[in-house]
Amino acid sequence: MSKTFHRRTLAIAAAALFAAAAPLGTVHADETCNSPYTARLIKGQERYLHVWTLGVKGMGDGSDKLVTIDVDPKSKQYGKVIHTMSVGGRGEAHHMGFTDDRKYLWAGRLDDNKIFVFDVGTDPTQPKLVRTINDFVAKSGYVGPHTFYAMPGRMLVQALSNKKDHGGVTGIAVYNNQGEYVGKHDMPVNNAAIGGGDGYGYDIGINPEKNVMLTSSFTGWTNYMMDLGTLVKDANAMKNFGNTMAIWDAKTLQPKKVFNVPGAPLEIRWSLKEGQNWAVTATALTSKIWLIKQDAKGEWQAKDVATIGDPAKIPLPVDISITADGKGLWVNTFMDGKTRYFDMTDPENPKQTYEMVAGKQVNMVSQSWDGKRVYLTTSLLGNWDKKGADDEQFLRIYDWDGKELKQKLDIDFYKLKLGRAHHMKFSGEAPTRSASIGAASTLLASGR
Amino acid sequence: MLALAAGMPPALAHAGAHPPAARGADSPAAVPQVQPPKQDFVANPAGSYRLPVLQQAANGWVLDGSRVPRRLSRYTHGTVTLLSFVYTYCSDPIGCPLAYATMADLKSRVLADASLHGKVRFVSLSFDPTNDTPDAMRLYGAEHAKSTALPWHFLTTYSPRFLLPILDGYGQDVEVELDAKGAPTRARTHMLKLFLIDPGGGVREIYSAAFLHPEVMFNDIKTLVMEAPAPARQARP
Repeated sequence: MSKTFHRRTLAIAAAALFAAAAPLGTVHADETCNSPYTARLIKGQERYLHVWTLGVKGMGDGSDKLVTIDVDPKSKQYGKVIHTMSVGGRGEAHHMGFTDDRKYLWAGRLDDNKIFVFDVGTDPTQPKLVRTINDFVAKSGYVGPHTFYAMPGRMLVQALSNKKDHGGVTGIAVYNNQGEYVGKHDMPVNNAAIGGGDGYGYDIGINPEKNVMLTSSFTGWTNYMMDLGTLVKDANAMKNFGNTMAIWDAKTLQPKKVFNVPGAPLEIRWSLKEGQNWAVTATALTSKIWLIKQDAKGEWQAKDVATIGDPAKIPLPVDISITADGKGLWVNTFMDGKTRYFDMTDPENPKQTYEMVAGKQVNMVSQSWDGKRVYLTTSLLGNWDKKGADDEQFLRIYDWDGKELKQKLDIDFYKLKLGRAHHMKFSGEAPTRSASIGAASTLLASGR
Repeated sequence: MLALAAGMPPALAHAGAHPPAARGADSPAAVPQVQPPKQDFVANPAGSYRLPVLQQAANGWVLDGSRVPRRLSRYTHGTVTLLSFVYTYCSDPIGCPLAYATMADLKSRVLADASLHGKVRFVSLSFDPTNDTPDAMRLYGAEHAKSTALPWHFLTTYSPRFLLPILDGYGQDVEVELDAKGAPTRARTHMLKLFLIDPGGGVREIYSAAFLHPEVMFNDIKTLVMEAPAPARQARP
């Protein structure tokens, strides 16, 4: 499919959708989009990057896999793929999340709903698959485990869909860290007391200091598993995208208020700067940055504060990454392959100050805690990624000096027969200055 | 510095009196300033919400001050229990000293509420059985260990072999720090976690450093006390 056709069809569909549109803290994490409850902060240079990768039929082993890359510039293996863990099959690998102790990575698949638990804490150079959770649909009734968000001793799993009709009405499942199902919380639907709700979900963001949790909204299995070219021509299907965010009591996991945020608000990022309790999201179909913060009366409000690119061209904002000081926001736009930097010094008036074409398509963006290194990958969804020569699949790492991105590394995932590069998480140095209690006991007994 | 300072355990308060120059590499650290998390919200009233069962309380063999081996379930079943894993050498301001100070704060709140008397206990369990003997834990617990107003048990285990299954069962991650020669030190790397357990042994809340709001924790304790008695769950063997 040509780029022009791709954009034009999306423009038509997005116009139809828009016309029909309804109505943290003091705990810091190294990579700014982790849950505020995540421990074992990486101080300084990140050592390894784990990339959750979609398998491609006929390419390599064709399996979804966790790819680990050495990203320490001082390492002799810098830029090398040092480990891959194939999990078998292709189930639409998508996103991951650390447990609160950072020892395990939970990685989900949106089609077959499997959740893979990797031990990356014992030795991040050799992740091990320790558990596969197969009861997500049976227990919760939800489909598409998307966001994995740690709370103490448990994992919140935001789903995208449901088993009844594969539409977008969904909820959040809760598992304990041992992989046992605890319970579920439906997204608000038509709840007049709190402002309505369309029942859709996507991302989670908690601010512990304020005891609030934000959620956003995307689309259901029928849409996200459909070929994008087919989807955008289906006016009825294009109506089935989320147009809301909700704010919840983070303790009781009860929704308190629904905001009207048209155009599929996706990733949520709280400012991590102490005393600044606001969050942002970007809307995929309407290309806006929305700000969620309390007004002068303490009431939470959501408002549109900036435009991303030219909405008429449907750049399709996807992943975002906020700087640790809350002053900057990276926003990727999938269709034009651009990564954009917004000055967030005044979150009520973000200003784009930089952009760069990273490739033919770009999705995920991660950054080091000091903001000096930026990581980009490409895959959005298996059936939404571009086709032919435009279907580049890479990991690119850049140095950022505040003015310009300078590419340091380029790993072609197709050339290496790995698959589609998607979600990224950092690991620090393998533990050499600590030992498990059992191992330490052995050391003591041996006289060391 | 023998007196308790802002809820600090006496072992640490006393250690702070030693000048740095006199301390060897393995000496106890100075009294840290605890850093509780900010709370910019009003806690949900007790009884207005339900805490789901997150997991079952793990069991194992422990030692109290009497050195008689007992099952851990003796200290986690039968009444609402707040359990914390600690070690007496810890000086991390958002680690064990914070847990101790928070529990001391909660003890005051529980004692001020007659409806909770006799229905709540605290447990501090060491994950350093090599150094935290029953005598060391009794010293660490000081007046709290002797108090009958709110039972607060300071426990340890025989050895790592007895400790490990308990840690695994609770999902408490802890590692021993090694010195430059690779030998174990007294320092531990751990994630601060406290476990709120109902009388039947169900873990109903887990708190980490960012979640340690005393007002919320007190309301959680009270919420469990207010619950109708749950069916008795068999303690894990």
